[in-house]
Amino acid sequence: MADFALEFTGVSKRYWLTQPPAGSGLSRLAQRFRPRQEAFWAVRDVSFDVAAGESLAIVGPNGAGKSTILKLVSAITAPTAGEIRIHGRLAALIELGSGFHPELTGRDNVFLSGAILGMRRAEIAAKMDSITAFAGVGPFIDAPVKFYSSGMYLRLGFAVAAHVDAQILLVDEVLAVGDEVFQQRCYRRIEELRRSGTTVVFISHDLTTVERLCERAVLMGAGRVVADGDAADIVSRYRRTSGLGALETAPDIDSPVKTMAIDFLSASDVCATGYPLRTVVSFSARRTIPDAVVEVSYCTHGGAVLFCQQTTALSGPRLTLERGHGAIEFATGELGLQPGCYDVSCQIMTTAGETLHTFVRPERLLVDSGRMISGYFYMPHSWRKTIAGDRPSSPVRAALGATAIGQERPS
Amino acid sequence: MASRVVTRVLRPPHWNPLQSISNLSSLADYGDLLATLSRHRINVRYRQSLLGGLWAFLQPLAMMLVFTVVFSRLARVPSEGVPYAPFAYAGILPWTFFAAAVTNGTMSLVSHAQLVTKVYFPREILPISYVIAAGVDLLIGSSVLVLLLIYFRIGLTMSIVLVVPVVAVLGMFALACALVLAALQVRLRDVGVGLPVVLQLWMFASPVLYPLAVVPVAWRTAFTLNPMTGFIEGFRRAVLDMPFDVYSFAVAAAVTVVFLPLAYVAFKHAEATMADVV
Repeated sequence: MADFALEFTGVSKRYWLTQPPAGSGLSRLAQRFRPRQEAFWAVRDVSFDVAAGESLAIVGPNGAGKSTILKLVSAITAPTAGEIRIHGRLAALIELGSGFHPELTGRDNVFLSGAILGMRRAEIAAKMDSITAFAGVGPFIDAPVKFYSSGMYLRLGFAVAAHVDAQILLVDEVLAVGDEVFQQRCYRRIEELRRSGTTVVFISHDLTTVERLCERAVLMGAGRVVADGDAADIVSRYRRTSGLGALETAPDIDSPVKTMAIDFLSASDVCATGYPLRTVVSFSARRTIPDAVVEVSYCTHGGAVLFCQQTTALSGPRLTLERGHGAIEFATGELGLQPGCYDVSCQIMTTAGETLHTFVRPERLLVDSGRMISGYFYMPHSWRKTIAGDRPSSPVRAALGATAIGQERPS
Repeated sequence: MASRVVTRVLRPPHWNPLQSISNLSSLADYGDLLATLSRHRINVRYRQSLLGGLWAFLQPLAMMLVFTVVFSRLARVPSEGVPYAPFAYAGILPWTFFAAAVTNGTMSLVSHAQLVTKVYFPREILPISYVIAAGVDLLIGSSVLVLLLIYFRIGLTMSIVLVVPVVAVLGMFALACALVLAALQVRLRDVGVGLPVVLQLWMFASPVLYPLAVVPVAWRTAFTLNPMTGFIEGFRRAVLDMPFDVYSFAVAAAVTVVFLPLAYVAFKHAEATMADVV
């Protein structure tokens, strides 16, 4: 087994940009045959290694050379200088729907794009059920893909790529397509592969995901490697330099308490609508904090707060955070969030209302469809058969309301 | 996973013919892709059409009828003692194979630009799959030829086996043309625009609709240097049981043997940066 999965040594890539013809008469005509071209170095003298089994992110602003790196690694185009060594079978998790033929059925197209990705026919046949399930196209698999919705098209394209057996996986902005449930499925798949020892090279703008999925990151700028190191460090550096750091409020150093992590625990490794979920906030306090309030807020990507969990909902027992490391666990018996992807952040305050620490890097919560019924939220409920006319009178209604509030109180 | 670790090295493109030829072994790994793509070409062609596969018969048949009327009834072109209809058809069939293979093969990279810029696979698979698909059409079209032979009571003899080497070498020649033109078409779209004109002229410069025998002796040498002369004459003579013209076929085969490896090396060299300009 090689120590490295990928070795980039002094890799450069030059593109020629054709300039519009200038001048007049003959010189203009001559330019048709010999256009004025300007060299553009998309990647310049880039060197880095990726250890086998490592997960590396390549981050950077648009035009930094991220996608060119991806094209070079996947041999779509050759470098202008330098050398790339690839140890092991490489696959790219890219959306291949554009390679589909509209007249062919989904099944035929799976065989086609699977073959393009280097899979054998027998291998594809063996994985067909899994691919269909992953794409969630159901019985449409035998319909021509021209009748597919654009979402189905994309999902099927991805599903094929997600099933290529490879030692090195390239991931380029998976998040950009598909609904959130599908994105979540993609992430779970990447996570699965990563755990089984696949080397993952992840190219993304989504810094939260980079921090979650990758150990190491390479920050690129103007075709060069700007920084290389621990993913969390690189991401925070990138956030600072690119102005994203403006989100960061309370400086960590001065605060007496700091949220270290937000973790989600669920019974069956999946977090789904209507099923139990425990949210654990780990913190580190520099001194004992009496009268503390820990609040976890569940937000949409847009930042709208959907609901919060608090240690002191309305009026509850006083919470004292002892010095050192500790954790607070919130639990719900039935999660009300509909399937999707949410940002969860945390704030530690005092009962007096002073904010001690804000966890600025929201954790992503992926909710699977469990007891999904239509509506904005899933509301825990029960039902029974009653005799006609047995309607709760108004005092009972009031009482029901009272218990609902009472249940939230910690006992 | 106990799969072996294969190391691939990607370097700037440089002229290395031996390297390109040794790539042929890795092409074998993509046999399934080639099979799937070729099948797909044939499957797709007549989708959502009423007559479906019947078109594979109708196209050469219509061409043959038109040419028979024009060249045999109006222009009275000689056909070496064979009725003109099977004579012309036996020329049109290999020519159509060649023209379709070269035209589609040339366009294959540009028409699959979406794939070429997104995923790597040996690019020559695209033109090859079109040559194979054209071969299948040749096979389908041959059944009409059989009907013509029966109708005109032309007996098949052992010389028919010569069709196999003729078509095989013709396929290789078509592939060589397609490889070079496809690589050029990626950079210069003029190729795709000019190709139909060139093919049209080339057809009339080859003995497709007339026998080589009617060509003035002074021009004969020049005609034989055109590889298509050897292929068309070879195919027709094998099918219609006429004495095989070994010389013209030998010329065509020799051209192919030299041209195909060169075309392949040139194609592989251009392949490295195809995605940048397609």
